Amino acid sequence: MSIGLALIFGVMRVVNFAQGDFMMLGMYLTYFYAVAGAVDPLLGALLTLPPFFALGWLVHRGVLARVTGGGDPGRQHDAQLIVTLGLSLVITNATTMILTPTPRGIPTAYATQAFVVGPVLLNQARSYAFAMALVLAAAVYVFLTRTDVGKALRAAADDPEAAAYQGIDVRAMHGLAFGAGIALVAAAGGLLATYYPIEPTVAGNFIVLMFVAVVLGGLGSIPGAFVGGLVIGLVQSLTLLILPFQLQNTGVFIAFLLVLYLRPQGLFGRRLRTV
Amino acid sequence: MPPLARVLALVLVALPLTTAFPPPAPAAEDVKIALVAPLSGRWARQGQLKKMGAEMAIEEINSQGGIKALGGAKIVLREADAGDSVEKAVSAAQRVLTREKISAGIGSWLSSFTLGVTEVAERLQVPWLSLSYADSITERGFKYTFQTSPVSSLQAEQALELVSELAKKNNRPIKKAAIVGDNTAASMFFYKPLREKLLAAKGIELVVDDVWTPPLADATSIVQKLRSAQADIVFYGATNFPDSIQVLQKVKEFSVKSPIQGVGAWLVTPEYVKTVGKETLDNIQTVVAAHPMKGQEALVKKFVQRTGEPFMTQDPLCTYAHVWLIKEAIEQAKSADPKAIRDALAKIDLTSGPAATSLYPNRIKFDERGRRVGATPLIVQWQGGEPFTVVPTEVATRPITWHK
Repeated sequence: MSIGLALIFGVMRVVNFAQGDFMMLGMYLTYFYAVAGAVDPLLGALLTLPPFFALGWLVHRGVLARVTGGGDPGRQHDAQLIVTLGLSLVITNATTMILTPTPRGIPTAYATQAFVVGPVLLNQARSYAFAMALVLAAAVYVFLTRTDVGKALRAAADDPEAAAYQGIDVRAMHGLAFGAGIALVAAAGGLLATYYPIEPTVAGNFIVLMFVAVVLGGLGSIPGAFVGGLVIGLVQSLTLLILPFQLQNTGVFIAFLLVLYLRPQGLFGRRLRTV
Repeated sequence: MPPLARVLALVLVALPLTTAFPPPAPAAEDVKIALVAPLSGRWARQGQLKKMGAEMAIEEINSQGGIKALGGAKIVLREADAGDSVEKAVSAAQRVLTREKISAGIGSWLSSFTLGVTEVAERLQVPWLSLSYADSITERGFKYTFQTSPVSSLQAEQALELVSELAKKNNRPIKKAAIVGDNTAASMFFYKPLREKLLAAKGIELVVDDVWTPPLADATSIVQKLRSAQADIVFYGATNFPDSIQVLQKVKEFSVKSPIQGVGAWLVTPEYVKTVGKETLDNIQTVVAAHPMKGQEALVKKFVQRTGEPFMTQDPLCTYAHVWLIKEAIEQAKSADPKAIRDALAKIDLTSGPAATSLYPNRIKFDERGRRVGATPLIVQWQGGEPFTVVPTEVATRPITWHK
């Protein structure tokens, strides 16, 4: 989830508030695959990649590209914040209207089964989801560091102007990054749907933590977003050893504040804005 | 601004406006009832169910000739979205109650919302009917608030009484209890008397007491605790569907065998069957303010045919009863004036008709605080993928079963 967000921010400097809503749409698509085509949600999650890549690309072309790139950088930030926030509201409410607020779930056997590893019980659905997330993260990493397109993408992220001088189509790179970011979060939604109920407002349960993971890992850093996600999970579980249950997320935010205080650029971040 | 961005901006600006204009004005003599319920956000499903009940009652009343005392006036519903926070609920109530003359109101499902919404109704002097459970709703000396449900603390007392009796009968007396759930108002008022006196009075030890603010991040540690504590009963209050699903999936995964006693009708909605399966649900029971009872088969059948829902639960049933109750009050007041309706509600004593027969016991009379006299909770239990009223036995649709 966070990796998609990091990719979008890293390349485009766009804070995408609608990220969680694309995740929700990914969950629904996986659900419809499972209901209509009896596709296992683990496979269904992968099948959300192509359509959501296209959707992301279209959204970028039709909406976001018009408020980013060129012009006054200060104003751009305001505009894209409002656009992504607006997108988020439109997607949530349109989904509530069209698909009704009734929660849905994909009943899978592995959601309620566990691998027994010595004294530890590992939930099967979560283990599969984790393994798939690892594979996707590795694929993104290899793509960014080993392929020409990936390198061009990073060049566009580092210095759009210089990249353009090298003959890189920065606008196309932004479209690619947004499409890939949306596709990744949709696939993450599909994996989540193996054990989490689906409803139009599900994004709200995740979006804040998603942003925390990205900032924790260092804005725009792909490995950082991955590690940030892991750190949140660990801190959440470990917090329970010392704090009462109600304060589960307090630990996460304390860790977050500590990281920001001691290392403002995040765990893996580079200093982004210099004066 | 580029043209597309302009269009998008227009859409964004216009969207809220479409909800700000009321639907076409009704004929002058129509009686308007407000329904303030969550129609978006994480409790939207419950609001949707409430709306179904209200619409069914209104259709019945209007097709039977409307309100006779007002020359056959029709009832129309004005719904307002309480959203997912108390602030949104309050502003929705303010909007709907000040925009036009509303004779009476219903809502807003979650006790925390109802507490806020009834303050608005009290200030604007509009009688308000609520199914919410929290004790505090009718502890503020309000004149316009009427609570048809038994309050949370009473539900706790009766639920504990019932489960300890059942457990004893099945030779597995309750020695250890657990409390697991969120911190919304109705749940909190349910746990409080258990923690403070009821459990201790029965010599029951409280072994797990975990309460969270929704949404729940992960249920693993809670259910692990339940597994190792092996409580003889789990008092369960996870009103938010995804939270509850996470807990129940873990209960199955870790094969926790403790019987589960819920509080509230959120635990008996149809989508549970599809998400966790009927085997996991079997024998899980919950204490509710209303559920179809013996003798209401025709009503349930009509509801199912109308809505396509697999069964009827507390939320549509209570709202159905509330609309009928408002109708009766208007008949007695012979006026659509909110104050006159309030006075009629304060004096009403109904023992027959659709409103009275939908609630247990079949009598609607309010005390000076606005609580329904004699209101008693029902116990509803999942059996084979459907929830049935199992207690009290005289209105039960199935006999109760206890965990093996």
